[in-house]
Amino acid sequence: MKIIGEKINGTRKKVKEAVLSRHAAFIQDLASAQAEAGATWIDVNAGTPTDREPDDLVWLVQTVLAAVDKPLCLDSANPAALAAALPEVKQAPLLNSISGEQARLAGVLPLAAQAGGGVIALAMDDQGIPATTEGRLAIVQRLIGETRAAGIPDGQVYVDPLVMTIGASGDAGRVALATVRAVKAEFPEVHFTSGLSNVSFGMPKRSLINRAFLTLMLEAGLDTAILDPLDRELRKAMLAAEAVLGIDRHCLNYTRAFRAGTLE
Amino acid sequence: MSEKLVSCIAEMQEEEALALAKELLSAGTPPTAILDDCRAAMEIVGERFEEGQYFIPELILAGEMLKSISEEVKLHMPGDHDVKKGAKVIVGTVKGDIHDIGKDIVVFMLDVNGFEVYDLGVDVAPQVFVDKIVEVKPAVVALSGFLTLSYDSMKETVEAIEAAGLRNGLKIMVGGGTVDDQVRQYAGADAYGVDAMAAVALANQWTGAE
Repeated sequence: MKIIGEKINGTRKKVKEAVLSRHAAFIQDLASAQAEAGATWIDVNAGTPTDREPDDLVWLVQTVLAAVDKPLCLDSANPAALAAALPEVKQAPLLNSISGEQARLAGVLPLAAQAGGGVIALAMDDQGIPATTEGRLAIVQRLIGETRAAGIPDGQVYVDPLVMTIGASGDAGRVALATVRAVKAEFPEVHFTSGLSNVSFGMPKRSLINRAFLTLMLEAGLDTAILDPLDRELRKAMLAAEAVLGIDRHCLNYTRAFRAGTLE
Repeated sequence: MSEKLVSCIAEMQEEEALALAKELLSAGTPPTAILDDCRAAMEIVGERFEEGQYFIPELILAGEMLKSISEEVKLHMPGDHDVKKGAKVIVGTVKGDIHDIGKDIVVFMLDVNGFEVYDLGVDVAPQVFVDKIVEVKPAVVALSGFLTLSYDSMKETVEAIEAAGLRNGLKIMVGGGTVDDQVRQYAGADAYGVDAMAAVALANQWTGAE
């Protein structure tokens, strides 16, 4: 499974402060730490109001790329911010994200087609997040129709089935899992992603729930995830699950991690 | 007062609570006494949530128990007895945002603390807030939003309230994952809160209940 490092997100208080005060070292430390911990992409989200978000996202991209050499995941619902940040990247970025929401689809899809680094597609639309697998699948079918029409190959689409918290609805986990399975069956080339920690919002000992969810999602077909690469327990769970599922050929990643002492 | 009923509800014993409520009603216990027990139990649930012992599932289950017991009570109550309620608060997640759990917790805690709460749901257009304000004449309006795009909706909502001539005398609070004083100022609100407990404290402060 490939990791999208989630830590540089303006919805986190310290990150927002760093963005507002232009504290480059703080951001660069987060970027380097995540890169070293094995993140494939570094997600950047400014989390600031619409009028200043483009400038903030540009600064974040420049700051991160001065410290690490990784493709970025540009995280914003605001097409103006994405458009401003695109010229600053060095490697083709993953765009986070399109959805069935009309304005978002119209604004972000052309940018994704242009950037060529992949696009995350959320299983929701202007009516919200469907409560059922069927509802989410219908949106995904529509979105893949749009990405294909825009010339984006299925292999560059990362479907996020969206997961709600089990704290508020008992079938939240099962619907997410069933959505991944259903989409995978119909579109074998697409990738998947998930903001795992949403599953445990409002619950105690969240990391236990996140680990259980990750393990089950790997079996369903999840191949990337937005998470904290520095979360050792999550990494251990991921390595063990991938070994059990035969995704980790000859268990090499697992034994390598053991020798490096990171299974402790 | 039935301590056993209060305890069953507070301990999340769904089946026992409903069975006991039915039993008490059949034995002639005044329906208002049952509702008082429910209220006492909800306060305990709210306290345990504040203390970090109970979580969202418990709030939801408490709400469900309250609903089923209220339905039983209604069968035994002639006419419409309105439960005495305090000041009116309108709550909603602003336009363009569908995050609802934080808002639901605020609604629950305000309700448990005696306020009469009108929950407008999510993705609520400014005009819907304005129309409700005209209808119920609340003391407080609470705007919820998680996405950064919601800050603009909060601002538009406050502006719509002003344009309708309703801003004076109304207190507006904003809240949600990333809301801070900068957002409060941007939106033109009177205060912001970091959690449901802060919402209750602000509402109490503004309605003189503190």
